[in-house]
Amino acid sequence: MSTMPSALTSQDPKYLTNNAIRRKRLSSWFYGLCVAIAFVSVLILVVLLAAIWAQGQSRLTVDLLTRAHSELEIERSGMWPSIIGSLIVCFVCAMAALPLGIATAVFLEEFKPTSKPLRLIHGFIQLNIANLAGVPSIVYGLLGLTVFVYMFNVFGQIKVNESPGLEIMGADHYYQVMTLQPGHVVFVPQEDASVREIEITEPIEAVDNSGNRFELAVWKPGTPRPKDEATKRQTIEEGAIGGTITRRSWYYFRLPLDKSFLSGGFTLALVILPIIIIASQESLRAVSPSLREASMGIGATTWQTVRHVCLPAAIPGIMTGSILAMGRAIGEAAPILVVLGATVMKGGGPEHLMDNAITMPVLIFNWAGRQQNEFQELAAAAIIVLLVVLLILNSTAIIIRQKVQKAHN
Amino acid sequence: MSLPKALQSKEFRSTRIGVLSERLIVFSLATCATITVLITIGIIYMLVSQSAGFFASDAVSFSGFLTDTEWTALQSKDLEKAKFGILPLLSGTLRVTAIAMLIALPLGLVTAIYLSEFASRRIRSWLKPTLEVIAGIPTVVLGYFAILVISPSLQFFTDGFTTFNATSAGIAVGILCLPMVCSLSEDAMRAVPRSLREGAYGLGCTPFETSIKVVVPAALSGIVSAFLLAFSRAIGETMVVALAAGTLPTFTFDPSQQAQTMTGFIVEMIKSESEYGTVQYFSLYGVAMTLFVITFGMTLIGQIIRRRFQESYQ
Repeated sequence: MSTMPSALTSQDPKYLTNNAIRRKRLSSWFYGLCVAIAFVSVLILVVLLAAIWAQGQSRLTVDLLTRAHSELEIERSGMWPSIIGSLIVCFVCAMAALPLGIATAVFLEEFKPTSKPLRLIHGFIQLNIANLAGVPSIVYGLLGLTVFVYMFNVFGQIKVNESPGLEIMGADHYYQVMTLQPGHVVFVPQEDASVREIEITEPIEAVDNSGNRFELAVWKPGTPRPKDEATKRQTIEEGAIGGTITRRSWYYFRLPLDKSFLSGGFTLALVILPIIIIASQESLRAVSPSLREASMGIGATTWQTVRHVCLPAAIPGIMTGSILAMGRAIGEAAPILVVLGATVMKGGGPEHLMDNAITMPVLIFNWAGRQQNEFQELAAAAIIVLLVVLLILNSTAIIIRQKVQKAHN
Repeated sequence: MSLPKALQSKEFRSTRIGVLSERLIVFSLATCATITVLITIGIIYMLVSQSAGFFASDAVSFSGFLTDTEWTALQSKDLEKAKFGILPLLSGTLRVTAIAMLIALPLGLVTAIYLSEFASRRIRSWLKPTLEVIAGIPTVVLGYFAILVISPSLQFFTDGFTTFNATSAGIAVGILCLPMVCSLSEDAMRAVPRSLREGAYGLGCTPFETSIKVVVPAALSGIVSAFLLAFSRAIGETMVVALAAGTLPTFTFDPSQQAQTMTGFIVEMIKSESEYGTVQYFSLYGVAMTLFVITFGMTLIGQIIRRRFQESYQ
């Protein structure tokens, strides 16, 4: 006869009962703790929203939405340029990041290699993307600063009044000259962009403010000075100095990109690229393999399968992920701050491709860092506007997700 | 009898063109995927080449950079008097990160256990969106929250806190990391098969024992990688510390004092619009290099742990 294990032979009923009670009590305490802690996050959210609403609701005025930042009229400062700026920067960001991200996801998910060395490369790219998602956004900001703003100084550094970089299109250079009529200037077209200043000694072709061409006359000191205004407007003193002025069309483009909204958008695209890739990969993975096999079975090539079967099935998921990524991009301040600088003095949206822009988070950062009470309240009001924009974006994503789930059921 | 439409209008292309266009498409897709690798190479090249300009300066030595206890790149315009020792910035980052982890790890893990083990379907359906909303709050908003609410309440409850301090920034960063820890750990715990839990209950375990002694160990690789990812996120966090942690680099372990972090320094340097090309300016690439090495290492280890030690149950 086998001996019983000691745990079964020497039982102390009192100990066992107490132990069971103790363990049950511990478990119910733990359950209580779990509930309490889980509700901490809800509490945090409520406190945050309530505090910001209380601080900012008095500043939610029409001025806030239609006017620009102003140091003199703090009371009437607004965030209009930053709303436009955020929208344009995010548009550029989406245009750059979405095609690149979705193409990468399709390549990684649908064109899995079969040979060993290619599989290694595939795994490496995959690991690399996961790592890129963990790189701090400020490092992307520095990358954008070096690659887009300065372009490693390959095209020379842009300096105010000295070097405009390598201009490609949309810029007309003129020398600006004072005429005899006080306060009236005319423009002499520039022939050699490297000469920044000219001295005018003989009559020369010029244009006035409305673009009419005429022959610019020169008045020599000592000779009789023209009297009537029309002539004075077309005459300059001999030896007048003309400095360079540049008129930029909306398609003005140059390299390096300098602190333009294009640089900002491209930098944000780098930040959200890994997020878009990972989200798109997940929704492509969720497409049932039987669909793929059916498509292959009737003779479609891999790309035809992807184009006509997988992508249409995965597009709602890709869109949800992309919208969430765009929400991240709108709220991202650090890279924009590094690339476009911390200035908020701008009256409107960008006027040409190389124009600077300010975005909502940068404006909030600037306002929140100031001492005056007005700016603190304005920051809270701007945060409310930003959160409303994010809410609209995110609820669009949720609606799409629910529609799709319904369609599947 | 009429033929089906597909047979009426036959549009056949040469197979050769089809093969060629297929190859072209695959090639362009592969190019897109290569760009992601180029980004990593670009980051590393940018950091190395630009910080080379910093370390090449006579005022800076590599050992001094790692061991000096003073950092005055912003305060002293005169290069002779500027001190470049990363330790104060590093200690600021570590103070903020440690406080953030004290908040985010326990709260995130317990919330994850609650969500995956106890919560009913109804509670899940609104607790999870709440966490997603917190995850979606822009960091600059949390920084503002830190100076608006957290700092004054710290000053209200205890003396000795300055307006800008490491603790309030740390708490805000912790709030930021909480949803991340929670959702990654919850994913890991939900991947643990039901049979393990049923086995534990069958042996007489209480719900507490089941979750702590069975589910958490089974999901440990996922939880550890969630911790590491949150840690690297906290180290790289910028806007919260730029707003709430102050601008003075201090080499202490006192969490009630100002603490300029590495990211906070980069923001201040950019804001100061210091002249391009000075050693002080290039010092920000030295700092960014340190930051990148730490976060990249963390993320890499996190990813490797998640892949290598992932328990797979059939």
